Amino acid sequence: MRRWEVMVGNKAIAYAAKLARVQFISAYPITPQTSVVEYLAEMVASGELDAEFVNVEGELTAQTAALGASAAGARAFTATSGPGLLYMHHPMHMTSGGRFPVVMAVIHRSVKGMQPDHSDMMAQRDTGWIMLECENSQELLDTGIMAFKIAEDERVRLPTIFAGDGYILSYTAEPVEIPAQEDVDAFLPPYRSKYPLLPGLADEARRVQMEQWGIGQDPQLRWRRQQEAMEAAKMVIREVNEEFYKWFGRRYGNGLVEEYRCEDVEAFIVAMGTIASTARTAIDRLQARGKKIGLVKLKSFRPFPSEEFKRLGAMVKAIGVIDRNISLGSGGITFQEIRSSLYDLDERPRVLGFHAGLCGKEVRVGDIEMICEKTLRAAEGEEVTPLVDWV
Amino acid sequence: MIEVRFHGRGGQGAVTAVRILASALYLEGKYTQAIPMYGTERRGAPVVAFLRIGESRINERDLVHNPDIVVVLDPLLSRTVPVTDGLKEGGLIVMNFPKPGNEAGIGGRFRLATVDATGIALEALGRPITNTAMLGAFAKASGLVSLESLEKTLLEQWPGRLGEMNLRALRTAYERVTPPVDVSGIQALGKRPQEEIFSRDVSSWRIFKPQLDEGRCVGCRRCYIYCPEVAISMTQGKARVDYSSCKGCGICGEECPTGAISMIQEVL
Ligand code: SF4
Ligand code: SF4
Repeated sequence: MRRWEVMVGNKAIAYAAKLARVQFISAYPITPQTSVVEYLAEMVASGELDAEFVNVEGELTAQTAALGASAAGARAFTATSGPGLLYMHHPMHMTSGGRFPVVMAVIHRSVKGMQPDHSDMMAQRDTGWIMLECENSQELLDTGIMAFKIAEDERVRLPTIFAGDGYILSYTAEPVEIPAQEDVDAFLPPYRSKYPLLPGLADEARRVQMEQWGIGQDPQLRWRRQQEAMEAAKMVIREVNEEFYKWFGRRYGNGLVEEYRCEDVEAFIVAMGTIASTARTAIDRLQARGKKIGLVKLKSFRPFPSEEFKRLGAMVKAIGVIDRNISLGSGGITFQEIRSSLYDLDERPRVLGFHAGLCGKEVRVGDIEMICEKTLRAAEGEEVTPLVDWV
Repeated sequence: MIEVRFHGRGGQGAVTAVRILASALYLEGKYTQAIPMYGTERRGAPVVAFLRIGESRINERDLVHNPDIVVVLDPLLSRTVPVTDGLKEGGLIVMNFPKPGNEAGIGGRFRLATVDATGIALEALGRPITNTAMLGAFAKASGLVSLESLEKTLLEQWPGRLGEMNLRALRTAYERVTPPVDVSGIQALGKRPQEEIFSRDVSSWRIFKPQLDEGRCVGCRRCYIYCPEVAISMTQGKARVDYSSCKGCGICGEECPTGAISMIQEVL
């Protein structure tokens, strides 16, 4: 039976893992992730969830243990934040390289402090993980369930992160619908690895494993196969998003991006995570004042939906991109990727960049209205400077 | 949308209060958002938590800056924290204060309802944890949530005896809270310096204060070692409390093996 509960984001994450019937959880506590694994530990201890719960001595092992469990054919889950995620960096490459569909919740915490920004996940952007960003606790729960289905899809077989801003979501309580277990079971059948790394492998399984580990072949092939899987994941994410909608009545745009009030607009802004949530209010206010600006929420950071931005970019005169991150010495990461997506358009919109919310700096509705107004001025042809702002 | 800000001290349960309120309001068909603000988690330090109440999903993820209602869980907090900052004109303050509201030092174009939540909590729970009493006062003064929904949520949160005790605090405060009065004619206490995180003077945090019986002190230094605020010094083999540094946590009294330290309630 479906039911509702007023819960914090970390509990919603724990529910996602529980409803997905994870078989293996490796955990090392770190603020603001800690209560995720505490909730799960309670669920395992009370018998509500039948899983192997392994306390490890650090995040490097948390990742490696999840990798091992997944390799043996178990549905594996872990969760971390900030520096903990950095500590997982090396084995994360191994997990994706081995094509093990581990699912991990990232509760964002800056690499420069306790408060959230996306620097922790962005530091992992090239590890070959799918990365899905959430704006509220319902989306965390729903995306957590979808993440397993995407990760385990035969066309994908890539580990997947679903993420939300620490503090802002992890400790804030709001109503969340908990789907019925039967429905989740039907939507997400048990994980059956075709190629479990177990003694007595069938020849086909052995061949695939060898390929995944890059043994006896073109050494570059593993990278290429993984990139192909990432490309394939774009389709799979869209399909899973639609199928989720059929079962549960909720979907998140097309799974990759969500357009919010983008009909007949001259410009739009782009945001990820909780900033996208706050931005909805700003867009509502501006449209009430007759301003022609919408929001595109970036949900799938990896794979990056370049095609979507190319299509959307052709419809407007300016785009304002909000980055809760920075690649030092270069700039806002999604700002650059969106600009690059537009390169092949005959007529390109202007693209402005905004750094906001780093180290948990509060992003208020008024800040986003200001971003929108600058973007609209650019859409009207005004030469606005600087190209990139710190909000 | 209605926005509420809770002021309290670490240990008084402000975060639990907003969560209970969010659940109770949800039972009444409201959409809610309960936001705690975590800083340095030091027992007794000023804390804030926020609540948003709406008819549909709430998208704003920033903090509450212009509340409609302010709830103050501690009677002395308003001496150091500007509790009415940003409060909307005509807004409501529900305050834990044992004396008539016009003595609380709160003035401006607001309405103020008061209740002796500390007294009620001590009666009902035996501890000065004022959150559930203040929820009762909030329900009555604001009319936004029914006592029944709060009772139901409380018992879910704490089944059994603890729930019953909190229920008593809730109901008593619901009955005893004063009707809101206009405080626009009252001169607010002058602008006070905001309480600093590193300030050593924490005397306004106290509800109880340690009293030393020198005759029974054997100079074992336990209180000196355990005091989290380093408020105890040893002179001539006896313990001495520096009251400006003492936040009244009672740890020294717990640890003293000879019963030389007793905790007595401060009078406001
Ligand atoms: S009550 Fe005792 S332990 Fe607590 S701060 Fe005061 S002197 Fe220290
Ligand atoms: S713990 Fe008690 S006996 Fe020991 S020094 Fe402190 S007051 Fe004296």
